[in-house]
Amino acid sequence: MDKKISRRDFLKVAGVGAATTAVLTGCGPASRLVTREPYTKMPEYTYNGLSTYYATTCRECSAGCGLIVRTMQGRALKTEGNQNNPVNLGKTCARGQTTLEGLYNPDRVTDPIRRDSRGSTIVKKMDWDSAIQVVADALSKNRPDEIAFLMGLAPDHLFDLVTDLTKAAGAAAPVRFGALGMFEARATLVQAANDMFGQAGLPFFDIGNADLVFSFGANFLETWLSPVAQTREYSQLRRSNPNRRGYFVQFESRMSQTGAKADEWIPAKPGSEALVVLAIGRLVAEANNITLPTAFSNADVNAAAAAADVSVDTLKHLASLFASAGHPLAIPGGAALGGSNGLQVADAVLALNALVGNVGKAGGVFLSPVAPLTDAYHRPANLKEMSDFVDLLKSGKIKVLFVHGVNPVFELPKSLGLEDAMSKVLQIISFSSFPDETALQSDYVFPDHHGLESWGYQKVATGSSSSVLSGAQPVIVPFFNTKATADVLLAAVQKAGGALASALKFKDELEYIQSKLSSLISEPDGFFSAPEINTFTAFFQQYGGWWKTTDNRVALSGSDALNKTFNASAAQFNGDGDFFLLPFVAPVIAEAGANKPHLQETADPTTTVMWNTWVEINPDTARQLGVQNDDVVSITSSAGTVEASVYLYPAIRPDTIAMPFGQGHTAYGQFAQGRGANPADLLSNSTNEAGDLAFASMKVSVKKIGKKRQLSRLEGVLGIYGKFGQQ
Amino acid sequence: MPKELQSPMDSANPAQDVQGIWGMTIDQDLCTGCQACVAACSMENNVPFVGEVDAGYGRSMQWIRIERFWQGSYPNIKATPYQPVMCQNCHNAPCEPVCPVFASVHSASEDLNLQVYNRCVGTRYCANNCPYQARVFNWRDYMDPRQRPELVTLSNHWNPDVTVRRRGIMEKCTFCIQRIRHAEDTAASENRDIRDGEVVPACAQACPASAITFGRINDPATKVSQAADTSRGSHLLEELGTIPHVTYLAGGA
Amino acid sequence: MSALTKPLFAGSKAEEQEDPKEHLMHDRMPRGEMNSMMLDSMHSTTWKYWTVTGVLAAIVATCLFYAWYYLIMNGLGVAGVNRPVYWGIFLVEVVFWIGISHAGTFISAILRVLKVEGRRPFTRAAELMTTFGLVQAGISVFLHMGRVWLSYWLIPIPNERGLWPDFHSPLMWDFMAINTYLLCSTMYLFLPLIPDLAMARDRATGWRKTLYKILAIGFRGTEGEWKNLKTAMNIFAFAIIPVMFSVHTIVSWDFAMATRPGWSSTVFGPYFVIGALHSGMAAVAIVLFLIRSTMKNMKYFLRPEHFELLGMLMLLVSMAWAYFYFNDYLVPWYGGDKWEKILTNFIQTGPEWYLWYLMLFCNVVVPWAILWNRKWRRIPWLLAIVGFLINVGMWLERFIIIPETLTINRMPFTWRLYVPAIEIALTIGNFAFFFLLYMLASRLIPLIPVWEVQEGQESHVLRKIGKARISAVSEID
Repeated sequence: MDKKISRRDFLKVAGVGAATTAVLTGCGPASRLVTREPYTKMPEYTYNGLSTYYATTCRECSAGCGLIVRTMQGRALKTEGNQNNPVNLGKTCARGQTTLEGLYNPDRVTDPIRRDSRGSTIVKKMDWDSAIQVVADALSKNRPDEIAFLMGLAPDHLFDLVTDLTKAAGAAAPVRFGALGMFEARATLVQAANDMFGQAGLPFFDIGNADLVFSFGANFLETWLSPVAQTREYSQLRRSNPNRRGYFVQFESRMSQTGAKADEWIPAKPGSEALVVLAIGRLVAEANNITLPTAFSNADVNAAAAAADVSVDTLKHLASLFASAGHPLAIPGGAALGGSNGLQVADAVLALNALVGNVGKAGGVFLSPVAPLTDAYHRPANLKEMSDFVDLLKSGKIKVLFVHGVNPVFELPKSLGLEDAMSKVLQIISFSSFPDETALQSDYVFPDHHGLESWGYQKVATGSSSSVLSGAQPVIVPFFNTKATADVLLAAVQKAGGALASALKFKDELEYIQSKLSSLISEPDGFFSAPEINTFTAFFQQYGGWWKTTDNRVALSGSDALNKTFNASAAQFNGDGDFFLLPFVAPVIAEAGANKPHLQETADPTTTVMWNTWVEINPDTARQLGVQNDDVVSITSSAGTVEASVYLYPAIRPDTIAMPFGQGHTAYGQFAQGRGANPADLLSNSTNEAGDLAFASMKVSVKKIGKKRQLSRLEGVLGIYGKFGQQ
Repeated sequence: MPKELQSPMDSANPAQDVQGIWGMTIDQDLCTGCQACVAACSMENNVPFVGEVDAGYGRSMQWIRIERFWQGSYPNIKATPYQPVMCQNCHNAPCEPVCPVFASVHSASEDLNLQVYNRCVGTRYCANNCPYQARVFNWRDYMDPRQRPELVTLSNHWNPDVTVRRRGIMEKCTFCIQRIRHAEDTAASENRDIRDGEVVPACAQACPASAITFGRINDPATKVSQAADTSRGSHLLEELGTIPHVTYLAGGA
Repeated sequence: MSALTKPLFAGSKAEEQEDPKEHLMHDRMPRGEMNSMMLDSMHSTTWKYWTVTGVLAAIVATCLFYAWYYLIMNGLGVAGVNRPVYWGIFLVEVVFWIGISHAGTFISAILRVLKVEGRRPFTRAAELMTTFGLVQAGISVFLHMGRVWLSYWLIPIPNERGLWPDFHSPLMWDFMAINTYLLCSTMYLFLPLIPDLAMARDRATGWRKTLYKILAIGFRGTEGEWKNLKTAMNIFAFAIIPVMFSVHTIVSWDFAMATRPGWSSTVFGPYFVIGALHSGMAAVAIVLFLIRSTMKNMKYFLRPEHFELLGMLMLLVSMAWAYFYFNDYLVPWYGGDKWEKILTNFIQTGPEWYLWYLMLFCNVVVPWAILWNRKWRRIPWLLAIVGFLINVGMWLERFIIIPETLTINRMPFTWRLYVPAIEIALTIGNFAFFFLLYMLASRLIPLIPVWEVQEGQESHVLRKIGKARISAVSEID
């Protein structure tokens, strides 16, 4: 060795060694002796050591993106995308980035608690043994038909476990629900695929390989289905071919973040979407000199143009674009499906794809690959089913309700009467990690680990062309005295004994997961393979899941679609207000991000508003109403009234007002509580033909109430609007 | 004075000692304004949140802001392509010569603007002189758990590689210098040069549309140089001669 | 003693009939009597005096020092500064007070060098203004800093880490210039004070005697001492003039060196100096009026003729200021830069348009309308009002140059208005502190340089040339 080791080098080596030792022993018995101190108290000149990285799955929404979490000294520091996971290929959205603020949220439920009166914030801490006893009693002392499970949108291992449990017990299958699914109208999409292609499943739109995209309300760059994957696809639409930039047209009455990226934005009147799609179809058929298929034979171009408040020339121009494109793709989604005729719209849009033969091929429509461990796509409950579920609760037949991974008191329209129905249930046990509205109405809260502290897997519904099972593992030891719900249930089942106990004889959650995974060992085309389950599980954890390396999308045939007959009509609206109400999921905070301060402070992409709810009104309309920016208005529908500050939004139809969904919490911790308004309070429980909530079918009246409440915006109003506004 | 801390005016020929100039391209055609970069940057760099009132008064502290303007009026209205603006790491940075205490300094070897937090006394001259308004100031002790009890748990995810800033200090995008240093250390220990794509700042790493490319712009072989060298590339406020190291690729057709 | 004589005022008819006693220089008074008049005014403190001083002290304690403590402990978030208005009223105050401080030097140094005899009774009050104004400016600089407890880092202290302030920074120049100016002006205040302190020492008892004994550094009034003192004063008078001009020029460079629209202007140097004189002269008028009307025996020393002299200077400076303002306006307009145009438009028609009109009204319309009239110039209270309005106007001018201009930058997405918060309290505190210092000084040191008045009276004679009586002054050098 010709180089002498300097003192500095020695210290470095020693530091790395010490840090490695610390990391290696960090999760061992010594961790009991280590106290966690915030970094602000770090001694000076502390060498930070090395990071360890764990692959897991993002649990902020149900898309199932893979994460790599950087940890150090037992703390999770940063989430990064898992480059191997085919869903997100190393990318994340803003919610995925701030998931750590959920993990370390100061308002988490730290211990199992009992509440003597529902709705009260006074709680008693329990220990886990008595908590498990409570669950065991609930399972064993009630008849199976007196037990109900309500679970979140994500089809994860816990859902499988509860399904197995209810099957073994003879109880009703767990109900899966989430506001995102509600606003995505998943049942409508599945039903439309079945209507048009004869195969039920979640459609997959190959945006990346298309060269022209017509999106009818689909907010696919925001929260729709699998936003990270779709944004990547969008990027490919624009750039994958250096010689040709994919063109993109958005039809919606209020310019969304997705609409802001469109080359053309067509503010069609709400409710007219079906007519517009059929008219375009007719014009496309004419332009391509195809005999007019049955599907489009009833279309009346002039009437559609009039109903949509779009000129006939515009429709012709759009149709000629669509007719001449190599891979034109039409996507139904968002508010277009949230009308009373949402299914018609979805059907018509799929038929439009079929018209140009863009089904089952690159740049066209497929069915999403079916996730591993499952035979078909199982959609979450639509509003019709939720309504039935609420009625069941109301009837008093349910004695015990388990809620996990969803906050229905906040997310469901108030008009459904869930809170009232819950009062009829004798015992409500929530597994929520956060003190949300539903947990507040529960008798017990037995907090589950945060997603980054738990084991699991999640079946990916869409977003990748291959079947994906995203895997989750804890990246830190649980920060609070929480317990995995799967472990609680398994332990309770054993305690309850009987047939149930012998049907679910698993030591813990991990063993259950392994039992499920074992069927994948023999599956072909896997990203990795292993001879036996322990190695397989190790790889599963290392890579953050298991997926196929082949294209598993289901090819479709569009031949039948064109022979359907549509009696398309404009949508029906509820109420007699002057304005169409367009509720949309706030792109950044979405349905459950309101308790993360950094997400609250991230500006909304189109309005740049932070920390609150706004209502978007066209400036001309506002002038007529006599309202200005930041004036508080009350918005009344047949279902209720909310108040919010006005944002003069130049890119919205004058007859429409729009409100983001995501704020207006009455619980859910210090960052969310008492902030903004919840547009779900304005919605009735009317549905479209597929049973999904017709969330865009309300007409509302707007009234100035003479108060002002300033919205926090990132943009300086001075430089963007009015006399000194720049372009 | 160490070379690192020399003002650009000190060296007649700054290119002399250059090891590699870091730069970035942002494709505005791809940027969907989704704010993932903003969140990623905040989480990586211990950027505090300031609360509703301060945020609404122009005190939000994110190192990236995504700008959006309007063109035309309804119904022929368009949002201008989203424009993420962060510190442009100018070659001739107006923020540097105005700092009385050398808190805003130039790295001659990498042509980066450095902000030395513990040297900053908070005159805010640099922020005034930054034509891009890319600097943010710690108006309060946003990161002090003694003043904000909610941070006692939240502070656990703070990045130990990045200094926690206290009140009265100016800060800005650093091009994730901790990641650059890490890659440099790794490369040095393996006795090689840094590979293209080895350094990925948090924003580029998160960006779902892959609109952000990062790398050495003095090497024509890197992705970032090739991306910047298209007819779509331009710099913000080019006429000021600041020679920024962030290239914007025009949005639209 | 040279025998050079020159007419002080040559006569129009009206002046011929004037009573020469109207002029302080011809209204002779025995030295002893004058001295005791001065000391009497210093020693008489009424309950009114103590009330005003007490109130001012209370305001300083709460609005300035407590608010400052609060500001330091909580950070600048309690002020109104934001992005893009990073500099708020703090910097307005800095420029304003440095401007005020210019009057002192201008009056005592330039008028001394130019041998304007009318200056004699009020040089001291004006010089005090320099020092007291600089104190306020210095405080405002410290209020402005994010980490004021580290402000000593601006001082080039050799240290083992080789850390050094950056002399490229206009703020560094500013720091140096203000410090130099404070040092020079304090010494220049002190030198002419010595004979008066010696006079006071000889007549005082008790703690005052001790105080003046120390301050008078053993001055006994020997020929040699006078000679040395005069030499020193001459040197300082000449030396401080360039310092004075440079200080405000350098202050202007804080802005002119920046790349911002509205700031990057070559005319800023002289424009700021003239602006400083404009507010400074006006402030002298206010202070003289207050001294004259509240302190005992001061009507003898401060006469309408002095206000007239001040009024003429104010009118002159106002005209010069208007010229420079027009220049500052013309150049961006002719240059046609997009941002400069927007800025001009914003200042005149934006949400704070009235400030611009009010500024022009106070700075130009008021002085031009009033000060052209000799009779009006001689009314002390009217001059004080004009002075007050000019100061309002000049304060607004700085407000427009700093926070309002900062609203407009080249990134329109960030444009925001500035709403002052704790700055308002601190500004009140600053003004109270300024007046409090005067209140204290008025009872501790002779506000009128008695020896200079006496010297002037001795050198003035009335000469009869034909029928006319001409005032003549012989230079004592």
